[in-house]
Amino acid sequence: MVSTGIRIGGLGGQGVILSGIILGKAASIFDGRNATLIQAFGPEARGSACSAQVTIADDPVAYPYVQNPDVLVVMSADAYTQFIPTLKPEGLLLYEEELVTPKDLPPGVKAYGIPATRIAEELGRRLVLNIVMVGFFAGVTGVVSLVAAEKALLSSVPKGTESLNLNAFRRGYEHGRSLVAAA
Amino acid sequence: MTLEHENFPQTELLPDGRSVVVREMTISDEPRMVEFFQSLPLEDRNFLRNDVSKPDVVHRFVRETEDLVLALVAEANGRIIASATIERGLYGWTRHIGEVRLVVGRPWQRHGLAKVLLRHLVRAAPGAGLELIKGYVAGGKVGAQKALEAMGFKKEAILRRHVKDVAGRRRDLLIYTNDVSHIWEKMEALNADFSPTQGE
Ligand SMILES: CC(C)(COP(=O)(O)OP(=O)(O)OC[C@H]1O[C@@H](n2cnc3c(N)ncnc32)[C@H](O)[C@@H]1OP(=O)(O)O)[C@@H](O)C(=O)NCCC(=O)NCCS
Repeated sequence: MVSTGIRIGGLGGQGVILSGIILGKAASIFDGRNATLIQAFGPEARGSACSAQVTIADDPVAYPYVQNPDVLVVMSADAYTQFIPTLKPEGLLLYEEELVTPKDLPPGVKAYGIPATRIAEELGRRLVLNIVMVGFFAGVTGVVSLVAAEKALLSSVPKGTESLNLNAFRRGYEHGRSLVAAA
Repeated sequence: MTLEHENFPQTELLPDGRSVVVREMTISDEPRMVEFFQSLPLEDRNFLRNDVSKPDVVHRFVRETEDLVLALVAEANGRIIASATIERGLYGWTRHIGEVRLVVGRPWQRHGLAKVLLRHLVRAAPGAGLELIKGYVAGGKVGAQKALEAMGFKKEAILRRHVKDVAGRRRDLLIYTNDVSHIWEKMEALNADFSPTQGE
């Protein structure tokens, strides 16, 4: 049985939860696997710590909490500091490279960074930084298929925003693929 | 920029029952764009920034599309009958603003084509990250004003006697804008990561 525990951490307003929702949907609805999502957020909309725990598995998930993730996705320095000690020894770290500087990386951990904010700004909307990260996740890990992730994305974002979101996703995906290919 | 979710070409039925094809302009359209622009009376191309009756201007127009968010043409019987673009600045504090330009060939005017093309432009704008789109119209150009208003644009400013028409008369320049940012408010709400009842 294959099961992947994912922790996504960032700040309120960065769309951490939406990233988790898209990954969960991609796996469960469009890839036909199983997924659970646990969300935790602070009492303010902006700036407070926020995280999502996603489990994606072939079999139904009995325990949805992700204490030691296989993959850690971080979009803020605080989230990195808070969650890096919990990452599995051979785990994978995906980080927003302009917001997070991975210090004291545990040995055995593989880390890939992406300038997601800059990419989102180039596309015209800083707001889609989380979608760049979702694409990056799909590109590096392959835990969700490209087709499923795109379908999940398009079914989750507001009408009229699809094309920019799709471009953001694809930029992240391509960046992820190229880093893995070069590794 | 390509807009993957809106697929072109699209066949559009006009209210008079005729159909036209709307698609993105390509480099291979150059000769037909030259033909189209040369068929326009001066009055109808006067509002463009460059003299599109000159083939070398059209040569650049079809190629230098970096600042074009979307460039559409309408086609009937293998001929280009209208051109519609939305253009943005690539740098600076108005990067969130796009400008629409639209011209419909005389034989096809007053058949609803401007509204069809504007609808595509307005739809494409938020997807390209634009928050506001604007259009410039010379005072007295009722068709352009009506088409813009029908597609949600509002008259925002008037620059008095700002343009000269072909007869040398000074006319007002009307600036129409359409705020399309509300679409992103929904995305902001989705990205809020906020629950007043749930703490970490
Ligand atoms: C402005 C222009 C694009 C309008 O194109 P069009 O395809 O004829 O416009 P539509 O048929 O969609 O008409 C839109 C509305 O204006 C009305 N209209 C069009 N031309 C008109 C005219 N000359 N006088 C009065 N009303 C007119 C239409 O009846 C329609 O009204 P409705 O919404 O009440 O039905 C076209 O006249 C043109 O190319 N002009 C020269 C270039 C220009 O000025 N561009 C505008 C800069 S953005």
